[in-house]
Amino acid sequence: MKLSYTAITRAYAILLIAFLMFPVLVVLPLSFSGDRFLTFPPSSLSLRWYAKYFNDPSWLDASLRSIRIGLAASLIATTAGTMLSVWLNRSRGWFRPLMQGVALAPAIIPNVLIALGVFIVLVYLSYTDSELALVAAHATLGLPFVILIVGSALADIDPTLERAARVLGAGPVRAFMSGTWPSILPAVVSAALFAFFTSFDELIVALFTMGGSPTLPVRMWAELRFEIDPTMSAVSIVLISVTTLGMGLAEILRRRQRARQ
Amino acid sequence: METVLTGQRSRRALPSAGKSGRPLRAGRHLLALPTGILLLFCFLVPVIWLFSIALFDPVFSTEHFERLYNSRAYSTVFYNSVSVATTVTLICLLLGYPFAAFLTFLPENRRTPWLFLALIPMWMSILIRSYAWMVVLGREGIVNDLIQWAGLASEPVKLLHTSGAVYVGMVQILAPLMIITCFAGMTTIDLTLVRAARVLGASPRRAFFGTFFPLSLSGVVSGSVVVFILSLGFFVTPALLGGRRDIMVANLISIMVEHNNWGFAATVAIVLLALTLGILAGFYALAALAKRVGGS
Repeated sequence: MKLSYTAITRAYAILLIAFLMFPVLVVLPLSFSGDRFLTFPPSSLSLRWYAKYFNDPSWLDASLRSIRIGLAASLIATTAGTMLSVWLNRSRGWFRPLMQGVALAPAIIPNVLIALGVFIVLVYLSYTDSELALVAAHATLGLPFVILIVGSALADIDPTLERAARVLGAGPVRAFMSGTWPSILPAVVSAALFAFFTSFDELIVALFTMGGSPTLPVRMWAELRFEIDPTMSAVSIVLISVTTLGMGLAEILRRRQRARQ
Repeated sequence: METVLTGQRSRRALPSAGKSGRPLRAGRHLLALPTGILLLFCFLVPVIWLFSIALFDPVFSTEHFERLYNSRAYSTVFYNSVSVATTVTLICLLLGYPFAAFLTFLPENRRTPWLFLALIPMWMSILIRSYAWMVVLGREGIVNDLIQWAGLASEPVKLLHTSGAVYVGMVQILAPLMIITCFAGMTTIDLTLVRAARVLGASPRRAFFGTFFPLSLSGVVSGSVVVFILSLGFFVTPALLGGRRDIMVANLISIMVEHNNWGFAATVAIVLLALTLGILAGFYALAALAKRVGGS
């Protein structure tokens, strides 16, 4: 029997997905391990590593700090980025491509460069270990995603509604809020989720600038560098669940936005 | 008095007319202000600062650049980074392209589950994914168990802290990105072309390489550029999965920071920036050239 191209490519696709999913398949059983040390596969099952994660102040502090910083960074990135997207959508002239290029640059420039630069400036100002500074740096890293997502939503919508509101006497802000805002809202929420997880996952800026008060990725980094116990697997599974739910929602919203046109 | 009032009234009625239009238009630029402030303090000033401490220490000198250029140990790190990035990009392309093509030829309503399966690993933290490989490839990891069970070796083989481990980890992290970028390029291809070639008597292989493949190349190039640039700046995976010799540029910067050698760290960072921007500039030049050739 001759195998069809479709059957071969499908088998290949399944193998590739298995390779990409491999880490979860390993970490998931480990996180439920009842053993004291890392052994794979585990010889007994328990929830002790989850209990340890939720009872260890160093993991909890780091997690809460990361959530706090992520929320603040996402709020700033989404607000500033949406405003800029509206501006980019309605401006002409030489300054527009320049602004767009600089705002997208943090997505392309290696993070280590921004981390080093921000760190050196903070040392000069004696302002290291500051959550506020990290929030600002993370917001900058989240900006490109907001501009790409909200920008493409703005480019697709019909500007007539807002113009109609203006003709009927609404001020520019009110016309925007009633004519345009409702149509780009899914994109804005999706962008906010992207910006949150950009910050929540970010290691290197936090590693350079937050020596004394680690975020969750910094705490994980320390764990992986020095001593690993199965708590790391429990943390991983919690994080994978949260990220998959959040980013899945962001992706669904983004697709719905595109389908709307 | 009355004229002032009526003037106000008419301004309200016609928002874009007359003098009232101007303050609005100027006020609109306030929309760019928050981003401008953010970029100034968190991006432009830090990057300019890097240049200044790399070149002025305390007076102008190219000492750091000369040291980087002349030291074999440091240039090896750059050489290693470029070679790792190249290899990883090629492997990602070889693995990702067929998958992206597979997705493209699926009916649209059946693409979504596959696409999500490829995206989910991308959302996982790089730290977690590197950790999983540490567990799998370690001395007592599952791969070593399998090797010994199959009788290929009598004692644990060193898999972790090798270049091979870095390749596996980086490919697993970057392949989804390659898939997405290639796929995005492929969705713009008119698939009736392939069918037309088949109808006209071309073999499946010939139909694919004659129509689909050349049109998919723009996505391939953008995917490769993105993956290459991201690999060049990798930090976590080489540090956790690689050995002492597998460190990349970002690790070198971090080591220099630990030694409080900021001037040199900044110099390394600037060379990395120049490399990144050079590749991007080459990409845009190529894209512009392709457009001109394609247009004529």
